[in-house]
Amino acid sequence: MENINKSFPGVQALKNAYFELKRGEVHALVGENGAGKSTLMKILVGAYRKDSGRIVYKGKEVDIPNPRVAQEMGISMVFQELNLMPHLTVAQNIFIGREPKKKNIPIFLDDDEINKRTKELLDMLHLKVDPKVKVSELTVGKQQMVEIAKALSFNSEVIIFDEPTAALSEAETEELFSIIRKLKSQGIGIIYISHRLEELKQIADRVTVMRDGQYIGTENIENVTIDKIISMMVGREIYETLREKEVEEGAEIVLAVRNLRRGKILKNINFELRKGEILGFAGLIGAGRTELARAIFGADPINSGEIYVKSKKVNIKNPWDAIKHGIGYLSEDRKRYGLMPNLDVKTNIILPSMSEFLKALGFVDDKKAEKVSNEYVQRLKIRTPSIRQKVMNLSGGNQQKVVVAKWLLRNCDILIFDEPTRGIDVGAKNEIYKLINELIKEGKSIIMISSELPEILRMSHRIAVMCEGRITGILNSEEATEEKILKYATMYEDQKEVLI
Amino acid sequence: MVNKLSTIFSKSGLRQILMFASLFLLFTFFSIASPNFLTYENVVAILLATCVNGLLALGVTFVIITGGIDLSIGTVMTISSVMSGVFISFWKLPVFIGVLGGILTGTLAGFINGFVISKMKLPPFIATLGMMMIAKGLALVISGCKPIYFMDAPIFNKIAMGSIIGKIIPGIGEFPNAILWFILFIIIANILLNRTALGRYTFAIGSNEDAARLSGLNVDKWKIIIYSLCGTFVGIAGVIMASRLNSAQPALGQGYELDAIAAVVIGGTSLRGGEGSIIGTVIGALIMSTLTNGLRILSVPQEWQIVVSGIIVIGAVYLDMMRRSREI
Amino acid sequence: MKRFLIVSLMFIFLIGLSITSAQRPYIAMVSKGFQHQFWQAVKSGAEKAAKDLGVTITFEGPESEAMVDKQIEMLQAALAKKPAALCIAALDSKAVIPYLEKARQMGIPVIGFDSGVDSDIPVTTVATDNIKAAGHAADKMAEFIGRIGEVALVVHDQTSRTGIDRRDGFVNRIKQKYPLIKIVDIQYGGGDHLKSTDLTKAIIQAHPRLKGIFGANEGSAIGVINAVREMNKVGKIVVIGYDSGKLQIEAIKSGLMKGAITQNPVGMGYMAVEAAVKAIKGEKLPKFIDSGFYWYDKTNIDDPKIRECLYE
Repeated sequence: MENINKSFPGVQALKNAYFELKRGEVHALVGENGAGKSTLMKILVGAYRKDSGRIVYKGKEVDIPNPRVAQEMGISMVFQELNLMPHLTVAQNIFIGREPKKKNIPIFLDDDEINKRTKELLDMLHLKVDPKVKVSELTVGKQQMVEIAKALSFNSEVIIFDEPTAALSEAETEELFSIIRKLKSQGIGIIYISHRLEELKQIADRVTVMRDGQYIGTENIENVTIDKIISMMVGREIYETLREKEVEEGAEIVLAVRNLRRGKILKNINFELRKGEILGFAGLIGAGRTELARAIFGADPINSGEIYVKSKKVNIKNPWDAIKHGIGYLSEDRKRYGLMPNLDVKTNIILPSMSEFLKALGFVDDKKAEKVSNEYVQRLKIRTPSIRQKVMNLSGGNQQKVVVAKWLLRNCDILIFDEPTRGIDVGAKNEIYKLINELIKEGKSIIMISSELPEILRMSHRIAVMCEGRITGILNSEEATEEKILKYATMYEDQKEVLI
Repeated sequence: MVNKLSTIFSKSGLRQILMFASLFLLFTFFSIASPNFLTYENVVAILLATCVNGLLALGVTFVIITGGIDLSIGTVMTISSVMSGVFISFWKLPVFIGVLGGILTGTLAGFINGFVISKMKLPPFIATLGMMMIAKGLALVISGCKPIYFMDAPIFNKIAMGSIIGKIIPGIGEFPNAILWFILFIIIANILLNRTALGRYTFAIGSNEDAARLSGLNVDKWKIIIYSLCGTFVGIAGVIMASRLNSAQPALGQGYELDAIAAVVIGGTSLRGGEGSIIGTVIGALIMSTLTNGLRILSVPQEWQIVVSGIIVIGAVYLDMMRRSREI
Repeated sequence: MKRFLIVSLMFIFLIGLSITSAQRPYIAMVSKGFQHQFWQAVKSGAEKAAKDLGVTITFEGPESEAMVDKQIEMLQAALAKKPAALCIAALDSKAVIPYLEKARQMGIPVIGFDSGVDSDIPVTTVATDNIKAAGHAADKMAEFIGRIGEVALVVHDQTSRTGIDRRDGFVNRIKQKYPLIKIVDIQYGGGDHLKSTDLTKAIIQAHPRLKGIFGANEGSAIGVINAVREMNKVGKIVVIGYDSGKLQIEAIKSGLMKGAITQNPVGMGYMAVEAAVKAIKGEKLPKFIDSGFYWYDKTNIDDPKIRECLYE
C-alpha cells in the first residue's frame, strides 16, 4: 500500500501511509491510539475507501470498494470489535453470505452442510465449540476464536489480526500463535496489530510503526528493542511546561481513593490528589480512566473501596452525592453528558444549582440567574453574544467553559476533566489551559484525563498511568517522558516485564 | 426457583409453547364464560377476522426482525385495495390482473420504502411515516373519496368469501377461502424466513448490521428486498380485504399498522431486531382477535375492551423485556 | 407469569360482568361510530330507554366510519350472542345484508337507525326525516328573507340518502310554498370545508343579489360560513346550517348564522330501543319512525333540551 491518504470529517486519518507485506511473513503493525493502524487495514479489507494512493496486490494494482471484493481477492480480517451476529449460530456466522444450497431445492439453505464444514474447521483449530450454538452464548474469548475461524475459512492469502489477544486467555493465545505459525508455513501473509509489544517478539518477523497517520519505519524484529519501538511510536520531542503554579509544600490532600474496585474494569485503585494540583491520567483507550472518573463521580457503581474528600470518608452513590462533596465531572462527550445543547447559556450554568434560584412556588428568579451567569461569562471569558444564546451555537472551547462555569457555581473544588480539549482547535485549547491554570491558582484541584501525551506532559504536576483497569505508575513531571508513559500504559498483567 | 423457571422459558422453542398455552387458556376462559363463544361459526369468524391483520403482521415481521419498522402497512393496504378496484371496476380489466395489480402496488410501496431507507439513509420510522401519509392521500385522491364497488365482478368476492372447503366437505357450513389463503401465506413466510438466504440475512442484518456489512453482505440490496417483501404481503392483505367487503374503502386503513405490530410483538419478535418467528406472529394475531371477539361476546363495554387489549400488549412487551434482560 | 395473573384477574372480572346481565332481554346495537359526540348522544338515549324499559343493551361502533370490516365483525359477534333484537346503523348497506339475513333466520328482529338498509329485512328504521327537516329549514329561510329573493344550496353529495333527501326537502318546499323565491344554484362540496368554502364564494360572486344560503350538513355549512365571512357579506346573506359542531354554534352565537337544524340523536337512540322492545313483544311497527329534529338559533341555543342534541 503506497501513499494512502484518507480523511474523515475534521481529521486527516492517514497521510501518505505505507505498508508492505511479504508472502509467508508475520508483519506487526504498531502505533498509538489514533495512529491510523486500524484505518489503514480497514481500507485494505474494503470497509473504508481510500481517498488517494495505490494498493498493489500480487503484482497488480487493485481497487477494493467493499468487503466482498476483498474476500474474493483472498484478504480477510479479524476485527478488534467483535464482528459477529449474536443471534445467529457459530456455523451461520462463519458462512454468512456464502451459504451452500440444498441440492434438490436450490432455494433452501443447507444448514447440515455448514454445520459439518464448521465442525471440521473448529476441530482443526482444536476449538471445542458446538457449531449449532448461538454466538451470544459463548464467552468473549471463544467468540474471538470463532472470528478467527471465520477469517481462516476464506482460504485467504492475507489475514489481518487486529488486537486478537485482547480477550484471550493464555492457553488460547498459545493456540492462536501456533495457528499463526502454521499459516505462515503455508505461505500466508499475516498482519498483526497489537499493543502488547512483548508478544511481537514471540510471533512477528518484522514490525512497522505508524504515528499520526504517517509511516515512520520498518525493522526486523531481531534487530530492534521494545524501547526502540516505543520511541519510534512517540517520537522524541521536548515539551515546555504550561503550568503556571506549582503545588505548595505540604499542601493538604483534597481527594484520596483507596482500594477502589469495580469488577474487571477497575482493579485496586489507589491515589491521592493534593490541593492546587493537576493530576494527569494517561493510558490507552479502554484502560479505564473514564470509568474511574465516573466511579468517583458516582455515575457508575463500585464493588468496594473508599473515597476520602478533605480527609473525611464519603459515601458517593450517585452524582448528586459527588456534587454535594464538591466534585464536578466534565465528561468526554460534553454534548451528550455535559450540556443541554438546545438550552441557552444561562440555563446551562444555573441548572445544577437551581434550588438557589427559586422563589416561592417554584418560579425561577430570572434576574438573579442573569446576573450570576453574566458574572461567570466575564470571569471565564466565555465568548457568546448573550447569555440567552443557545449553547449548541457556541464553539467547542466556549462550550467547555460553560460546563466549567456550571461546576464552579456549585462550588466544586475538585474538577475532573475528561478529554477537555478533544475536538477543539489549537487556539481554543490554549484558552482551556489558561482556564485550568486560573482554577489551580484559585486553589481548586484538577484531575485531567487526556489521550494527548504532549498535553498531559505539559500541564500535569504528576501523571498517573493506567492499563487495563490498574494504575501501573505515578510519575512526577520532571521524570515523565512519552516513552515512560507508554511503557506503563502497555504494562499488561499477564506479561513478564521485558524492559531492556 | 422462579429464576430457574424463567431460564427454561428463555429458550425460544419453549417460548412458543408458552404462547400456544396462552392462546389455549384464552379460549378455555371464554368458552367457560359464555356458551356462545365456542361455536363453529364463532371460531371461523375469529379466524376470518385474523386474516387481514395476520397478513400485515406476517409482512412486517421480516422488517422488524431487521431492526426496522414499517408504519405504512395500514394505508398501503388501503391503496392496494383501491388499485385493484381501479383495475377491475374502473378499467374493466380481468379480475386476475386486478389482483396482481393490487398486490404489486404493495410491492412497489415497499420497494420505495426500502430504497429511501437504505440508499437515502432515512430512519425507517420517518421514511415509512411519510409513505403512510402519501399512500393515505393517494388512496383518497384516486378513489375520489368514495368506496369502489366490485359489483360487476362477482368472482372477486369469492376470492376471500367463497367457500371451497364448504364444497369439498358437505355439511360443514361456511369456511371462507380467505382463511385458506392466510394459511398458505403463513407457510410461504415460514419457509422464506427459516430456509432461505433471505431469511438468514434478515436475522443477520437485525442482529448486527455492521458485522453483516463487513462480512460481505450487500446490506442495502437486502433491505430493499425485505421491505418489498413486506409490501407484497401488504398488497395481498389489501386484495383480501377488498374481496371480503366486496368494495375498496379508501378511508380505512390508518391505525391497522399498530394492530399488526402489536401482534408481532406479542408473538415474541423483538423491536430491536435479530430474533422472531412466523409462528409467534400468527399466535400473536390470533390472541388479539380471540381477545377482541371474546370480550364482545361477553358484552364487555367497548371502552373497556380497548383498555384490556392495551394492558395485554404492555404486559406482553414487559414480559419480553424481562426475559431479554435475564439473557444478558 | 405476570401476564397470566393480569389476564386471569381480568377474566374473573368479566365473567362476573356477564353473569349479572344474564336475566333481562338483551338488545345488541351496532352503530356507525363510537367516539364522535353524535353517537355518544345516541348511546345515552339508548341507555336511558334500556333503563326505563328493563332491558340490557350493548352499544358498539368502529373507531371511524370507514372501518366497514370492524363493523362487520361487531355484527357477527353480536349475532353470536343470540340477542333478543338487533339495532344497526349500517356503514355499507351491501356488506351487512348477509348478516341481516342470518338474523332473520335466527328469528331476531332487526331495527335500523340513522340510515336505512337497502332491504326489507328491518322491521322499522328510526332516523331523522331529512325531507321534513330540510323543509322546515326552507320555511325558516323564507321567513328570514321576507318570502322573496334568490337563494342557493351547498350540499355534501347527491348520491347518499341524506344528501338527496335534504336537498330535495328544501327545494321542494320552496317550490311548493314560496313561488317568489328563486333557487339560483345548488353545488356539491363533499362536506369538505375547503371545497365548500371555495364553491360558495363562486356562488356569491355569480349572484350579487343572493339573499340566503343553506348548508346541508356540518361540513358544507362551515364552508358557507367561511365564504360569507371572507367576502364580507356578514348580515347581508342569511345562512342556515345543519347538525352542530363548534364552528356552527359559534357562528350562531355571533350572528353570522341565523340558525340551524339539528337532528335528535338522543331521541334516536331512545326510540330505537323502544322500537326493539316492541318488536320483541311482537307488536307491529311502522316502516319508518321519525326521530325528529329541532330548529335552533340564538334564542334557544341554551335550552337544555336543545343542548342535549348539540355537540362540539
